[in-house]
Amino acid sequence: MTKQTLPNDKPIMGKIVEKWEECFETYCFKIKLPVKVQGAKPGQFVMLWVPGEDEYPVGIAGLKDSILEVGIAKMGPGTEAMHKKGVGDLVGIRGFYGKSFTPPDDVNHLLIGGGFGMTPLKLLTETLMSTEKKQNIHVFEGARSEDRLMYLEWFRDLHNQGKINFHACTDDGSYGYQGFPTADLEIFLQESETPSVIYAAGPEKMMKAIFDLGRKFANVIDMQMSLADRYMRCGFGVCSSCVVDPTGWRICVDGPIFNTEKLEKISDFGVYKRIETGEKKRI
Amino acid sequence: MSLATKIGNITIRNPMILASGVLGTTYSTLNRMYEAGLGAVITKSIGAKSRAGNPNPSVFALNEIRSVINSVGLANPGYQIFREDIEILMKNSTPTIVSIFGENKEEFKEVLEGLKDLSVLAFELNFSCPNTEMGGAQIGTDPDLVYEIVKELRVKTKTPLWVKLTPNVSDVIEIASVAVKGGCDALVAINTLKAMVIDIHTKQPILGYKKGGLSGAAIKPIGIRYVYDLYEHFGDKIPLIGVGGIFRGEDIIEYLLAGASAVEIGTSLGVAYPENMIRFFQMKIKKYMKEQQFGSINEMTGGAHR
Ligand SMILES: Cc1cc2nc3c(=O)[nH]c(=O)nc-3n(C[C@H](O)[C@H](O)[C@H](O)COP(=O)(O)OP(=O)(O)OC[C@H]3O[C@@H](n4cnc5c(N)ncnc54)[C@H](O)[C@@H]3O)c2cc1C
Ligand SMILES: Cc1cc2nc3c(=O)[nH]c(=O)nc-3n(C[C@H](O)[C@H](O)[C@H](O)COP(=O)(O)O)c2cc1C
Ligand code: FES
Repeated sequence: MTKQTLPNDKPIMGKIVEKWEECFETYCFKIKLPVKVQGAKPGQFVMLWVPGEDEYPVGIAGLKDSILEVGIAKMGPGTEAMHKKGVGDLVGIRGFYGKSFTPPDDVNHLLIGGGFGMTPLKLLTETLMSTEKKQNIHVFEGARSEDRLMYLEWFRDLHNQGKINFHACTDDGSYGYQGFPTADLEIFLQESETPSVIYAAGPEKMMKAIFDLGRKFANVIDMQMSLADRYMRCGFGVCSSCVVDPTGWRICVDGPIFNTEKLEKISDFGVYKRIETGEKKRI
Repeated sequence: MSLATKIGNITIRNPMILASGVLGTTYSTLNRMYEAGLGAVITKSIGAKSRAGNPNPSVFALNEIRSVINSVGLANPGYQIFREDIEILMKNSTPTIVSIFGENKEEFKEVLEGLKDLSVLAFELNFSCPNTEMGGAQIGTDPDLVYEIVKELRVKTKTPLWVKLTPNVSDVIEIASVAVKGGCDALVAINTLKAMVIDIHTKQPILGYKKGGLSGAAIKPIGIRYVYDLYEHFGDKIPLIGVGGIFRGEDIIEYLLAGASAVEIGTSLGVAYPENMIRFFQMKIKKYMKEQQFGSINEMTGGAHR
């Protein structure tokens, strides 16, 4: 029987069946899960166990025929250990955890992000494209340079097929226009006369900038952002490593996706994050 | 009918207390859990220095037995930083118990000295964490050390001192007796049980620290036994607080009947809607008290011994 999600349990061991270098210091993996499961929603994440090395949260980029797709950007020892894994190796998966994006109908869907934030946005794009209704999808991606744009080819192909509008930008101008993705988003919002929802995933400083921008436009009816730049241990709400103040919400179960109404209540948003000790550090 | 309960000379609005280390790293979750209806909350165990804890994986669920294994290893920001969180809790009038630990006697003293001016409900001395090399359970298994620490801390503060016991000893009565002799105001049982999980495919222990402690439904009968044994030995001489595997209102009642004056709840609140869990607990206790014609929580304490 195909399960709608995995039970909250110890890591189940999946086998890597495909690995590719997606962009600069970023590898993507397809991992065959040992049970039949579907139902992973865009914005949800798994805890990835690299046996003997580390465990950490990663977004779900796709799930088809019980094959899970993830994209891992090199940060430190844990992500490096995953980069050394290859086809045939076993890794542990716990999940699917967290709340997902909840796109409404009849709006412009404005997906914006950078870095590993593009993983949930990839699944969101796929989900939106698979709805019966034709959706108006815009993807804004920013990176330092062309070689760091994640899923560049994938998004470009969809753009060329007319399924989405892809707006890319780079800090150095090596691809797309030169600048931050917020600039392109702002132009879109200025010109658009129909309601939009913004979905953002990426560095928190960037999301804060997007949030402040989005609030200026009456045609932005909601913003949903993934606070995935956060330390986690359990992933299911028991340890409180990931809590934000002053609401006491746990990113792993009360998030990682928060909407405008909730983001306004999180004073930590864009300002502080917690480290392993529980101390707050300025972002 | 009242849900209020007396633990020594303090009274809380109901017998449900948040267990240390679960949802207790920050003032904001502690406030949230109190507002959700608990009687009081306990902070994550706080030490003298900031600690990053053990490598991940450090917490995961064992679905089959509705339990959790953890090796967090007392990650905490240190009392100097955490003091700010406690101050906010005090401002909010949240009944707060501060769990403290030390690598040795001096550290216990330092933390207590650093926090004793705050009007917290009690200090819970964590002599029982299985997830560090030093301190924690190491101290909790050494009767001489337990006695010395409790005795020395006792003279430093009027705030109640609770001692949290480890189940990982052969004779809990021995340790409990020296804690009582040292002057503690309540005994808390139990902390997590030593446990381990190995992945048979990769042949690796799953926890980053390899070994950990078990909490959740699997340890409830063990917790009940400890509380029962302690009550059998001490009777009304010292209040007991039962912890371990509470997932339903019935479990709370069971701990009270075994001899507890209150309970601590941890693992089962690690869900999407802890607020609902707390509401269910409360409803069940009220219903039981009505059916059994209990007027107060303390009337139920030790009911299984009569
Ligand atoms: C909900 C969520 C989804 C994520 N999705 C992805 C993804 O799809 N792809 C991806 O590459 N990365 C993702 N991350 C980030 C990823 O978990 C970290 O990059 C990774 O843990 C870094 O580990 P490291 O050992 O390589 O680096 P380290 O050197 O250990 O740490 C580098 C930085 O990574 C972060 N980090 C470290 N440990 C953790 C941890 N246990 N939990 C969270 N953050 C941590 C900290 O901010 C730290 O400063 C996600 C994080 C969250 C919270
Ligand atoms: C993730 C986690 C962290 C914990 N941290 C602490 C701690 O810092 N100090 C402590 O005294 N107990 C700690 N405990 C133990 C709990 O307070 C409690 O004694 C134990 O989990 C049994 O209760 P439960 O089954 O209701 O969870 C921790 C438990 C868990 C699951
Ligand atoms: S990671 Fe443990 S509560 Fe969120």
